[in-house]
Amino acid sequence: MKKQLLMMLTLTLLAFISQDALAQGVTGKVTSSEDNNGVPGVNVLIKGTTRGVVTDFEGNYKIDVSSGDVLVFSFVGFNTQEVAVNNQGVINVVLEVDVQSLSEVIVVGYGTLAKVRVTGSVSSVSAERITEVPALTAEESLIGQVAGVQVLQTSGEPGANAVIRIRGSGSISAGNDPLYVVDGIPISKNLTSVGIQGGLNRRAGRFQVPPANPLATINPNDIQSIEVLKDASAAAIYGSRGANGVVIITTKKSSNSNKGVFSFNMFAGQHSVANKIDLMDAEQLIAYTRDARNNNYLSSVPGASISDPIGPGDRGNANYEMPESYINWDGTNTDWQDLLFQNAGVQSYNLSYGSPVNNKSTYYVSGGYFKQDGIIEGTSFERFNLLMNLNSELTDKLKLNLRLAPSVTNNNRKPVNSPYFARPPGIVYSGLVHSPTVKPYNADGSINQLDNQSYLGGGTTSASNPLAIIEAVSDNLFQFQTQASLGLSYEILPELTFTTFGGAYINIYDRNFYRANTLLYRTATEGEPYAQSSSSTEVNWLWENTLNYEKEVGDHYFNALGGLMMQKDVLSITQVEADNFPDDLVKTISGGQVFGGTSVREEWSLISALLRVNYTFKDKYLFTGTIRSDKSSRFGSNNQTGYFPSFSVGWRLNEESFLSSIEKISELKLRASWGQTGNFEIPNYGSVGLLSPANYNFNGQEINGIIQSTTPNPDLTWEKSSQIDLGVEFGMFNNRLFLLADYYRTVTSDLLLNVSITSVSGFSTALQNLGEVENKGFEFSLLTRNFVGDFTWETELNLSTNKNEVLSLNEKNEPIFSSGGAGVRHITRVGDPIGSYFGYVVEGIYQNDADITNSPVDTQAPDPSPGDFKFKDVDGDGQITPDDRTVTGSYFPDFTWGITNRFGYKGFDLSIFFQGVEGNEILNLTSRHLKNGEANFNSYAVFNDRWKSEADPGNGKIPRADRQTGNHGNNNRPSSFQVEDGSFFRLRSISLGYTLPLKNASIDKLRIYVSGNNLFTATDYLGYNPEVNNISTSSLTPGEDYGTYPLTKSFVFGVNFNF
Amino acid sequence: MKKIIISLIIGITVSACSDFTELAPISNRNESAFYNTADDFIFGINASYAMLQQDGVYGRAYWTMFEMRADNTDQGPDQTGLARVFTDINQFTEDALNEQIDAAWTGSYRVIANCNVILDRIESIEIDATLKSQIIGEALFLRSLMYYHLAVAFGNIPLQLTAFVPGDVLVQTNADAVYTQLVGDLTTAETNLSAANAEVGRATKGAAATLLAKVLLTQGDKGGAAIVLERIISTYGYSLMDPYSDLWGVANENNGESIFEVQFISGGIGQGSAFTNDFSPSADLQTGEGFGRNRPTVTMQNSYEVNDLRFASSMGDTYVDGGGVTVTANYVRKFESNPPNGNDSDINFVVFRYSDVFLMYAEALGDSPAGYVEINKVRTRAGLPDIDGATPGTFDEKLLHERQVELAFENHRWADLLRFGVAAQKVNEAEPFIPVSAVRTLFLIPQRELDINSNFTQNSN
Repeated sequence: MKKQLLMMLTLTLLAFISQDALAQGVTGKVTSSEDNNGVPGVNVLIKGTTRGVVTDFEGNYKIDVSSGDVLVFSFVGFNTQEVAVNNQGVINVVLEVDVQSLSEVIVVGYGTLAKVRVTGSVSSVSAERITEVPALTAEESLIGQVAGVQVLQTSGEPGANAVIRIRGSGSISAGNDPLYVVDGIPISKNLTSVGIQGGLNRRAGRFQVPPANPLATINPNDIQSIEVLKDASAAAIYGSRGANGVVIITTKKSSNSNKGVFSFNMFAGQHSVANKIDLMDAEQLIAYTRDARNNNYLSSVPGASISDPIGPGDRGNANYEMPESYINWDGTNTDWQDLLFQNAGVQSYNLSYGSPVNNKSTYYVSGGYFKQDGIIEGTSFERFNLLMNLNSELTDKLKLNLRLAPSVTNNNRKPVNSPYFARPPGIVYSGLVHSPTVKPYNADGSINQLDNQSYLGGGTTSASNPLAIIEAVSDNLFQFQTQASLGLSYEILPELTFTTFGGAYINIYDRNFYRANTLLYRTATEGEPYAQSSSSTEVNWLWENTLNYEKEVGDHYFNALGGLMMQKDVLSITQVEADNFPDDLVKTISGGQVFGGTSVREEWSLISALLRVNYTFKDKYLFTGTIRSDKSSRFGSNNQTGYFPSFSVGWRLNEESFLSSIEKISELKLRASWGQTGNFEIPNYGSVGLLSPANYNFNGQEINGIIQSTTPNPDLTWEKSSQIDLGVEFGMFNNRLFLLADYYRTVTSDLLLNVSITSVSGFSTALQNLGEVENKGFEFSLLTRNFVGDFTWETELNLSTNKNEVLSLNEKNEPIFSSGGAGVRHITRVGDPIGSYFGYVVEGIYQNDADITNSPVDTQAPDPSPGDFKFKDVDGDGQITPDDRTVTGSYFPDFTWGITNRFGYKGFDLSIFFQGVEGNEILNLTSRHLKNGEANFNSYAVFNDRWKSEADPGNGKIPRADRQTGNHGNNNRPSSFQVEDGSFFRLRSISLGYTLPLKNASIDKLRIYVSGNNLFTATDYLGYNPEVNNISTSSLTPGEDYGTYPLTKSFVFGVNFNF
Repeated sequence: MKKIIISLIIGITVSACSDFTELAPISNRNESAFYNTADDFIFGINASYAMLQQDGVYGRAYWTMFEMRADNTDQGPDQTGLARVFTDINQFTEDALNEQIDAAWTGSYRVIANCNVILDRIESIEIDATLKSQIIGEALFLRSLMYYHLAVAFGNIPLQLTAFVPGDVLVQTNADAVYTQLVGDLTTAETNLSAANAEVGRATKGAAATLLAKVLLTQGDKGGAAIVLERIISTYGYSLMDPYSDLWGVANENNGESIFEVQFISGGIGQGSAFTNDFSPSADLQTGEGFGRNRPTVTMQNSYEVNDLRFASSMGDTYVDGGGVTVTANYVRKFESNPPNGNDSDINFVVFRYSDVFLMYAEALGDSPAGYVEINKVRTRAGLPDIDGATPGTFDEKLLHERQVELAFENHRWADLLRFGVAAQKVNEAEPFIPVSAVRTLFLIPQRELDINSNFTQNSN
């Protein structure tokens, strides 16, 4: 934004330059301390006179002076500098950027505001930061950049949805995604109500693939800035949609210079799996299996001896015996992970052109192509997009803005984020459990599905060959998205502007899933061919009318914005399913037998009025007040209209006389705000009593039946969040050191919950508003410019904490137990975070029989032996019962941080970015199989350090191997053993660039760079990704890892070229 | 200019918005815009029938609560997971959180609530009088069928006769008062319904009368029951199927002896039954998914007299597994079929059939030659000799025995044991590890209902 203004001013001023016939005198060049480039349009004035010149496009100037004159260099956005001429003939000036100047404006929703006058908590990320690390999606560029904004990379799949949480999670069932506003059009990700991005009817709900990212259609190169409205006072302007915060994405417009500017940006590189899981190799697995069989045998059969033969049939129960292929191992030692993951290319090209047409109009056009291949063969994401932005002054008073942004994405997916026993099975998980003794291919080169799919006998468990899954299952998601808007603004008075803005967001999905005959499910001998075709169209339009009054009189600045707006969304989905495909020649619905289909159409609408008032006195005392009213079709008839007020105040102490004398303090602002926002992501017809088909049959023929399927609730309303925010902004040494700190506390009430009601009503639950959740935390960000000049070094550090706690749930505050991928392992109860992990607590390992005798009786362990887990008697009643299950962790981190160091020297630039998350836990459900001690397939290598005897207790954390621990120590029950620390520390990116020193007038800039992403992650987590969240659409079951697409690391090479 | 623009915008916006946020569902029918036409009510009552297929009603919960609870069947060796829930019901160890009793309560009231909506709404709608009368009759019958089972199972239940309105305070009504209400409702239903219906499976006069007789017997009104039963026998045209095996199998559904059946059809449309899978011993099915649940007890097995033709149709005691090995195990055979997909069978559940009418008539007539005549009608078909007062045992014992073997696994047993007052004794005889003192005549009321309705009291016996 700053640059834009700067360029606009430059243009107007340049008109004068050429006419100035310069006499002899002083010459020089004015450069910016930020980038050492020349600054065009700087006012160079002889102090005490009205005589002056402006710098030319290169920042050069020439002026006639006398030796006693003092030159005043001033330009918007920079600190004014005075230089005495004396006898100098050349005066070169480096202007310091005035970080907090009035010219720096940020987008605050329905308008912009000078940054110094902002009283809410708003973070802004500029275009340079967004493209600094070659970003695949807009959200990815926010990772670790903004205090209070957690961007979770839950999957490394190309096109995967990045999950953004602003100041924690307030909602249990209405979603925690922020509202996205793309060039004035509010878009909710709305991933829960629509299954098209992830839904497959034949796949169990808990094993659905995560939804693809609808915002992946936006090209990061086209983004001018991203603003995050964090506190309620900033977000209240979005009323019933602001409770989860607001992310405002503003795309580029022409910079309105005197000439057209071409810009070409590209990068290309390679991805590979970021880390491999440490699994057992064949020999370790065989030893472990032997242990598990022997221990089971000895614990189960009186008089059994470890020296009894252990081959198939020798001990009368397969679970006491070894597979034949383990006893006579043929030396096969397959590393399945190496077979699954490939190096994959990524490439991005973007060409844009911004130009004035005449001095009344400008336009910006951009075209981009992006393609990322996945590290799992057959997965990829591809994007084509265009952007056109036209601004025109039709008359002196009437301005027009037209924007058109179509894009196409093509996402090829595979079943990855699911366990080995899902249908279709998860590729990665199937690979992880596969025994290294199994050959991946047959002698003829075909994929080995012959030897019973890893079912080796001897108490092993089968899984499908992951290579066969890759080959047989295809899942293509095509998305066409367009955003179009037209705005007209009319200047009624110089201080009063009326704007009418109409826009639409159109999203068309087409998804085709096919599962071929060739894939054999585990031990199956026949395929289960199946196809599902889904398509959806969403049209979301809005019309906004606003009046903006802005007046500055003396010390008073006053700005008022009022508006009326309406928005409507219409969504339709069609699905068809077929099975019994005779062969795999035709992979669409028409190749099989159609057996099902559905078509659904839904709408919602919203009509709103808003008012915002900003008042500042001497730019010292700041006040903002907003109120919005929203009336939505989603709300019950008794509660259709909601009001969302907010107030915030700021006090810039540095403008006070007692501080203004301290020159070292360049900024000291205190902020306080309070606001109410809402979450309107309740079901479209949640307040209505819906009827559904309940068909019956007479005479063998199906007949129609219709029954009420939901209860009407005319009182149904949005979830309400009230937030207070206290902030301080502190700048020193001309803001070379700038600290921003905030404290916030949000209470979300009237949570949308399915509440139990009497079954006599015909229903067992009804959607009602009940319960409260609190989020509170601190945010800090610190920017220091350690060196300026030839060698520059700046550091950006941010750190945020958040504590999530359920305050109340319902009248009796009964906990909500939730099942994710593997039964009830989550609890939402008063006093703990939403969706906390729930289970037994491992206290240690029984070392000997006396230890067992002296410990509380474990009623859940039929026959424990030394080496089995000792569980904690949480309620202290002297025995281990289901009542001893408790909270064992949570997906919410204690704090998150990011630190970026940027260095510049001559044309070189280097940035190093670290990111960290502390105190989150992951519910590693893969432990149920890969860390279960049963040796029924491969295992995490940690089981090499298992308890073997009192004398050889391993690392003290891993129990003994036992094929049927359920009959003995029951070590595999839901417990803290499956909950792992997800804290991590990551070298998120490192990039080195060089800007060529070109003196060619036709080339403005040519920069080449190399960049590495995710090169290094330090974590104790055993799985691939310590931020994994398999069921990201449900707040009640967060943080599960039940097979995931691993994160990738990448090296890319790129070019930025402006001419 | 300013004022013009503002008033223009406000004018447009306000005029557009009066209906702008009033959006009715598009892909679902809406309760407030339904129940207006004759078709609406036909579809509405059809849904009440459909709800009989629920797991909480005839689909599953009823056979656990009216057969496994009694002495006829038990769960068998598998007692983990869902089977544990069944085992608890079988052994009287269930607590108030038991999924099956909760499902039965919820499922039965779902049927009742839908009937209540129909009865409430049809009142003021002007449609063809015959159709209206028929629909009211069906709603009253189906509601009564549910209330009869709830009253037998739980005893003290809320007797909701109109659509539930949030805020309504529910009170528990004892079973006697429920039966009194049912006598009136079923009398109306019998009047309203037709004797036969082109759509086979709809409730008929015979169905309403059979349930009415059962309620009257439960109340102890044998005289009243006799009158109703005589009417069924003389006017509604049912006949016994002969041989007994002609009653069973998909091909024999809705036969001349059938009075009311819950209709199931296969085809992956959610209307198939799971009885075949639930009851068949493991691996005895094309689909490979037999669970051997609802396993006939040895007492049940032994209660068949030698040469009773009903035995082979009712239960098996051995089967040949996939490996060709003969396995000894009891299992229910009345619902055998061979569904192409698991839990998706065509096989219906027979709620009432004509032989029950004879046996109820015998019960109404009591210990008398006429009573034995009715019992012998059923015995003759089973290939067994007549009995009379000289046959060992009391009339009640002989009648109850006949009911057991004739109507085995058809969800009559628990109510019969209660009506004859021998529940504890019979359960203990069949399953000696269940002490007489453990046998409760009423199921526990689901905990969630007690939590929601603070004035409810739990069954204590």
